[in-house]
Amino acid sequence: MTDSIRKPRSVGRRAVLASLAAMPAAVINRAEAQQGGGFGTAEKPIQLRMIANSAFSVPWQNVMVPEFNKKFPHIKVQIDGLPYNEQLAKIMLDITGDKPTYDLYAIDDPWVPQVAETKQLLELKKDAKTWTAADYDWDDFNPAPLAASEWKGGQYGVPLRCNMLLRFYNKTHYQKAGLPEPDINQTWREFIAQAPKLVQDVKGTGGVNAWAIATYFTRDSLTPTIWQAILNAHGAELIDAQGKPGFNNPTGVKALQTHIDLLQWAPPGAKAHGFTESLQAFRQGQVANMFQWGSVYKGTAVDPGATTLKPNEVGIMVMPVGSNSPGIMRSGTHRGIWNGCVSRKSPNQQAAWAMLQWLSSKEGEYFHSSVVGAFPARKSTLSRPPAEAWQAPVFKTLQHSYEIAAAGRMWRPRSAKSDQAQTILADETARAFNGDVKVAEALASAASKIERLRL
Amino acid sequence: MTPAALLLFATLAFPVGYTVYISFAEINLGTFTPDEWVGWDNYLTALEDDRFWDSLSVTGIYLVFALPLQMFLGFAIAFLINASWKGRGIVRAAFIIPMVVAPVIAGGIWRMLLDPLWGIANYVIGTVGLGPIDWLGDPYWAMTTVILIDTWRWTPFVTLIASAALLTLPRDVFEAAEIDGANWWTMLWRITLPLLVPMIAATFVVRWLGAVKMFDIALAATHGGPGRATTVVNLFIYEEAFRSLKFAESAAMSLIILVVTMVLTGIFLRGTKMLEERH
Repeated sequence: MTDSIRKPRSVGRRAVLASLAAMPAAVINRAEAQQGGGFGTAEKPIQLRMIANSAFSVPWQNVMVPEFNKKFPHIKVQIDGLPYNEQLAKIMLDITGDKPTYDLYAIDDPWVPQVAETKQLLELKKDAKTWTAADYDWDDFNPAPLAASEWKGGQYGVPLRCNMLLRFYNKTHYQKAGLPEPDINQTWREFIAQAPKLVQDVKGTGGVNAWAIATYFTRDSLTPTIWQAILNAHGAELIDAQGKPGFNNPTGVKALQTHIDLLQWAPPGAKAHGFTESLQAFRQGQVANMFQWGSVYKGTAVDPGATTLKPNEVGIMVMPVGSNSPGIMRSGTHRGIWNGCVSRKSPNQQAAWAMLQWLSSKEGEYFHSSVVGAFPARKSTLSRPPAEAWQAPVFKTLQHSYEIAAAGRMWRPRSAKSDQAQTILADETARAFNGDVKVAEALASAASKIERLRL
Repeated sequence: MTPAALLLFATLAFPVGYTVYISFAEINLGTFTPDEWVGWDNYLTALEDDRFWDSLSVTGIYLVFALPLQMFLGFAIAFLINASWKGRGIVRAAFIIPMVVAPVIAGGIWRMLLDPLWGIANYVIGTVGLGPIDWLGDPYWAMTTVILIDTWRWTPFVTLIASAALLTLPRDVFEAAEIDGANWWTMLWRITLPLLVPMIAATFVVRWLGAVKMFDIALAATHGGPGRATTVVNLFIYEEAFRSLKFAESAAMSLIILVVTMVLTGIFLRGTKMLEERH
């Protein structure tokens, strides 16, 4: 509201743009750039600051910001990267302060309700409606990633960096085990039936040197996402519409037990494996399957500096189909979206929203996926010919996973206490992985603690 | 005096006082400020939480094994490197390295070394017919791993203090004992150790205060697992505060730990004084 450059110039620019609608886009862009896109001047640029995760803040700063500045040269953006574990607390401290340091926040999927509850995030479809470009296509977003930044009917962000839990498989391992390549209709029962055959000697050394599965087993808040995906594939919900645990039942027991059973066909030491270790095992050709976040695909199948595998060796698809619920044959996945949000206390809200609009626009998203390799949220980006060959099967799977996630509500608890619930799930189920308690006991204990949170 | 007192207040008393304040309040996450006085509720919540008690017992196990091990190794190594031998300076300098490695890096490196799939540790013990050991996935070995890493990190600290203490021992006492025919063992048991008692006790208290705060090694190496096998109390409090944003309950737990630590430290200091008087 207090954007320093939101003056008649903005209206004039729109009029100019409207009259130039027939001109080639490049000419428009040049004209916009000369005007600074309507924001700031060379002498008095607008300064924006953003909190992002350190895993991607550097490419955003070095690649995305310069591209954004071609269109909006007078908006200077500084992106500060933070380790994941510190990010939520830092965002909460900043946004609830009298004078927040940051205009923009990259907020992880399960954190959105908690941050939105502070009432300090701009509601983009309402508060920022008049600043939204006419061609900004909300309907083009896949519903699942867009829903990551919805809370109580408000749209508090836009998807900037998408991720889905997917299944990677090593085609060579399947071939050596004499098994056909898996297809998307494979059930968990069929997967487990094949698993023993995938514990094998693929190097011809005479001993076992390859295993069936690598994924999260360690005590980590992301470990429950695996059995949550199995639970969802069986047609159950983690948290029901009333905010009550939906996993403390036979389907939940079956899902968690399936996850624990996978340890039988996992590499030695897998009980302590999480993101890094499972990824390393798959990239080194030591496992036939990996349930992992899809964004690792490029480093796993394409980048020779990061993997021993070749693109034609690596298959990707959604996780197996549930086999427990009659009439429900659903694959599994899990959503993990980084959302861009604007602080309500930012003195440059309009410029901040301009930045997010560009990043999540058809143009910005395509650039992001082409140059940085990020996963897009828009249907149009996923359906257009990708910039690189490896993206074709990945984008097809991604589109599929979005549809499954939306249908099965495959995400972490939507609540202001989501992280608390996820920490409880991780802590309690880790005891079941360790054999300290039975699966049913772990789930009952987690359910009891989560009920007390009153999600 | 006034500036110094103000500085002390700002850096020490205020954070502690604020922690006490929020431990009796409910934090409003919308404003991130304490907005309701809840009395002892946060303390009761902490004391009723089985995870808090589990983490206390895990911390106890870690302290019971790690502290004596580090003290013994630290002083033993100090005795060895105290003798004059070639290369002693280099060894002393190399001893400092584990202390200056960031704990998260140390935990990560050890995690790689100990991984049964590609770590070197199992290969090495395999050459003498031992293992393989699931260092990070088995609860007993995971605790052993945390103790080992912490010992690798902090034994050099004890060694450095012990080396300095050994240099201060009066030479004439040892020369007189040698003339009287005392052997190496007698001199160690009857002269060196009694003279070192105050230093051993002081080092123990310093290490105790450091070890009680340990959580970074557990966070980096085992994530507190498997199960809750290595979730030391500070790791539990950290997760409750920064993952679950339960700052008020975490403040209450921190203060419970502070009181317990102060009481035990007081007992240790009193024990130290008694030992000093005895010797």
